[in-house]
Amino acid sequence: MRRLLTTVAAVALLALGALVALQLTRPSLPSSPDEQAAQLAAELRCPDCQALSVAESRTAAAEAIRQEIAEQLAAGRTPDEVRDHFVARYGKWILLQPADPLIWLLPVAALLLGAAVFGWWLRSSLRGRGTADLERAVSDEERRRVRDELEALDG
Amino acid sequence: MAKQLPIAWRWVIVPVVALPLGWLLFTGLGRDPRLIPSPLVGQPLPVLSGTTLDGAPFTTASLAGRPALINVWASWCAPCVTEHPLLLDVARSHGDELLLVGLVYHDTPDAARAFRTEYGDGGWPDLTDPSDRNALELGVTGPPETFFVDAAGVVRYRHVGPLSAEVLDAQLRALGVGS
Repeated sequence: MRRLLTTVAAVALLALGALVALQLTRPSLPSSPDEQAAQLAAELRCPDCQALSVAESRTAAAEAIRQEIAEQLAAGRTPDEVRDHFVARYGKWILLQPADPLIWLLPVAALLLGAAVFGWWLRSSLRGRGTADLERAVSDEERRRVRDELEALDG
Repeated sequence: MAKQLPIAWRWVIVPVVALPLGWLLFTGLGRDPRLIPSPLVGQPLPVLSGTTLDGAPFTTASLAGRPALINVWASWCAPCVTEHPLLLDVARSHGDELLLVGLVYHDTPDAARAFRTEYGDGGWPDLTDPSDRNALELGVTGPPETFFVDAAGVVRYRHVGPLSAEVLDAQLRALGVGS
């Protein structure tokens, strides 16, 4: 009985995991043309605005681009083809998110490099201030004086 | 001292990190963030078509064989007023060597016609663009913009903002006009 319950629980967990995985991968493949159009509009920069997407802007240019996206999707073009259509006319500038994966890795690389340099600096500075320096700073003359005075206190 | 960075390394790290970073930031100072290079440069001009302000059908497919200057403008655009005399000059002195085409951007035909009446009609076709289709084909971000097209129909240069006599002269010469 117990083994059966464990099996059922494991299967249920697997199914749940598969569902979550499906749900996570779904937004990248919107099914209906309206969803595809909305996602494309959110990815494209409005040409006569400052840092607004075509989806957010109410300018005539943004309206025209939304119209063009809808028409091209209706004509059977894939979202990638529509995106490329605008990149070919406006350049990569039209994409609100950089298409080059290197751009996304740079901040992570910079953070790791910074952490490494900081850790290395921390280690070397702790060692530099370690007992070696202190021992060198106290001369034999001073040691003799400390010993003498301690003995004087005891006596 | 053995645990610290050797002196030689300090002299390497400063130039390796600071100099490229400094160079990047310094050259960035001189760049205009509004200036976006057009991917159309070096590519054939997309076919622009529609009705002119005079009501005649027009298409750039008929340009072939002559250099052309495509000027995107609007009556509400103040810099377009500034550059207009230069375009009139070009039409007057090089009208036989190249074709000027205006593209009216986000404007009503009446307002655009009033602009031509007030500031001078050079006689070139001014394409209306009610659905923005032509502007989208050119990747227009805002008027004035001017595209220099060679005799083979390839875009050679895109100028954003009002034209100056210097830019106009240099780009027309590059097209082999007025030489």
